[in-house]
Amino acid sequence: MKRKKKWLIGLCVGFFVVGLVGVSFAMTRERTEFLKTKPYRGITIKVLSLKANISETAVHFAKQWNELTGGDCQVVSVPFAAFHQKVFMDLVTGRGEYDAFINGDWFYGDYFLPEKPYIISIEQFMDDPKYPEWDPESLLPALQTVYKWNGKWYGVPNDCDSHVMYYRRDILTNPEYQARFKTKYGYDLPAPPETVDQFLDVAEFFNGWDWDKDGKKDYGVTMHMRTGGQGMFHFISWAAAYVISPENARFWFNPETLDPLINSPGHVKALEDFARLVKYGPPAMLGWDLGEAWDLALKGDAVLTFTWGDLGALAQDEKESVIKGKIGAAPMPGTMRAYDPIAKKWIEFDKPNRVGNVLGGSWHGVISRYSKHPEITYDFLSYMAEEDNAFWAFVRGYTGIDPGRTFAFLEPYGTADIKDYTEQGWHLDDVKPYTDAYYLNYTNALQLPPMRISRADEYLRALDVAQARVAMGELTAKEALDDLHGVFQEITDRVGKDKQMRIFKEAMGLK
Amino acid sequence: MKKRPLQYFFILPATVWVLVFTVYPLIYVVRISFSNYQLGTTDLFFVGFRNYLDNFKDATFWNSLRVTLLYVLIAVTAQVTLGLYFAWILNKNLKGSRIFRTIFTSPLFVAPVAVGYLGITIFYETGGPVNYFLSFLGVHVPWLSDRYFALISVILLDIWEWTPFIFIILLAALQSIPEDIYEAALLDVSSNSQLFWYISLPLITPALVIAFLLKLIESFKLFGLPFALTAGGPANATEVYSILTYRKSMAYFDFSHGAALAIVLLFVVMVCVVQFFRIIRERY
Repeated sequence: MKRKKKWLIGLCVGFFVVGLVGVSFAMTRERTEFLKTKPYRGITIKVLSLKANISETAVHFAKQWNELTGGDCQVVSVPFAAFHQKVFMDLVTGRGEYDAFINGDWFYGDYFLPEKPYIISIEQFMDDPKYPEWDPESLLPALQTVYKWNGKWYGVPNDCDSHVMYYRRDILTNPEYQARFKTKYGYDLPAPPETVDQFLDVAEFFNGWDWDKDGKKDYGVTMHMRTGGQGMFHFISWAAAYVISPENARFWFNPETLDPLINSPGHVKALEDFARLVKYGPPAMLGWDLGEAWDLALKGDAVLTFTWGDLGALAQDEKESVIKGKIGAAPMPGTMRAYDPIAKKWIEFDKPNRVGNVLGGSWHGVISRYSKHPEITYDFLSYMAEEDNAFWAFVRGYTGIDPGRTFAFLEPYGTADIKDYTEQGWHLDDVKPYTDAYYLNYTNALQLPPMRISRADEYLRALDVAQARVAMGELTAKEALDDLHGVFQEITDRVGKDKQMRIFKEAMGLK
Repeated sequence: MKKRPLQYFFILPATVWVLVFTVYPLIYVVRISFSNYQLGTTDLFFVGFRNYLDNFKDATFWNSLRVTLLYVLIAVTAQVTLGLYFAWILNKNLKGSRIFRTIFTSPLFVAPVAVGYLGITIFYETGGPVNYFLSFLGVHVPWLSDRYFALISVILLDIWEWTPFIFIILLAALQSIPEDIYEAALLDVSSNSQLFWYISLPLITPALVIAFLLKLIESFKLFGLPFALTAGGPANATEVYSILTYRKSMAYFDFSHGAALAIVLLFVVMVCVVQFFRIIRERY
């Protein structure tokens, strides 16, 4: 028994050493030489992260980085509800307890509110060969907007968030259901839906009966609608195609006047359809967080959803999922007409108007201006961004890190091999739809602009409450969005229209 | 009696504590409620009653006030009634009453946030224990996804947690009533209810008033339980006043409007307490 234990310990040490050696082979010569000196011995840096899989992944990499560099990276995690507050309490008070924040992209507007921004650009470190190497061009252009401000890099690549549509391939291609759908709706059951109307029809058709024959009632759609549970992102990704078009790139504010666009007829129609969609899922989802909503899909009880890359990866874990090998993915459905809120007119299309998005936190590291060791902090953040480490995280659902870099995608879009995924337990039939869906989403020329303005947190919360009130039937879509227009105006006026205009234009890259 | 300087020395720590942790923060909050202090502000200046007027024009203010008043009315009434009932019942030396008292008071030692998170499991709509048992009666309740039931969930959990607080105070008050008073009363009254209404209740009124007031003041400050359970949702159905104040101040860094909300709450609670004392003085 003792010999077996020694053998096992030896094997583990061996893997660790091989891992470190492997890492060193992937490093530049300058980096390798630099690390020989254990350059950060005795130095501690603190990174504040959202309490989720993201923070556990950061802890995983921190342990490796500590071993390589001699430094001590401590990751502190805070729940979503208090995270923004915790970050800005540290910055506003000047305490500077944390060197970096693994933040959400909508925090940027608040970072750049004061004359001297709260975060520093990483461009001063990017070309230094002693730091971990990562290729900025590996991050797709749509995502680069999330990591940059006014054309400069501030964020180090980590997570890449966007909403895509997920569907049950096996159910939508079932011949019996196809025949019944066609009888009811007069057209072929789409697999996947290409338009919002098709999405609604499919969700309605599959809602409320046992289509997977497991003895339980099943649902058309699942969403995390709990107020404060990121439910507003469902509405935002749904509504994009009702407003963004080849003729209009504006969703949130008029860039000339900063007048909120949120109650345009396009937004109203989107919310009306969204409220209808909510009825095709379990009523309880109005109180659901991410985990509960995803769980319904993973247990095989919802035929459609739209959410982040985590779901596709989690579906591969057979301990939690019964849909491995059955889950399809595609970019968000489009519309056949969209409203231009600037020109104030509806636009009709011959084919579906589909819009990409970079919706969500895209949780990534930024460096605090109060950090006493910004270069060391950059070293850790860029260690996580190195290709091998980033790919390691992408292919494992439990890391919370979603793909968005070229080496994550299969041919012809990227350099990954399907074996890279299947060796990590992915089902062969799930990999290509998943990676292609994200690639096509990010490379769509039409993109939903993210909300990157000061107090984005407050604007988004107000939207969250408004859409929940419509979903619960308390207000009509028009009443809710007209109210919301007033709330948005009030927030803008309170911050100061001039300040918000500056931030908005910097965020959008406008002069 | 000659005053000695030493007696001031002994009250100095408490005085300093009150000045530093009560008086100064109160003055500071009042000051910023009349200023423009928010994220990114570099210069503070006086804005008069603008923050108060802004709050009064804000629909979320009236919603949170309404939700809080509804919660206070129902929860405090239920807690005092149930606390008094259980104190009266368990004041008798029934078999097992000691063990029951211990079990009954145990929720008091759980943090409100923990109770809130526990509530997510208890009231989980698809498969939680409450709906599981209700399903045998053919009933399904949307505990956390319906505006009214979400508030009921908060109230039920709060009653479970804080009824023991009232119970402990009133039990102690009942146990302090000498037995010979009851023995004398039994010469004139024949039922337990008469004993309660004409003897016990008047004698424990001071303790009842204190318990009621303490609970009333605490209830207006409710935060942890609904924040953990529903985060103020669904929509703003359980966004009690303290959650709104927290959001304005600490989440949105709009300290001035948050301070104005806090001062308004202080005023509302003071009015309730003063009114209550006036009624008690008139009656007793």
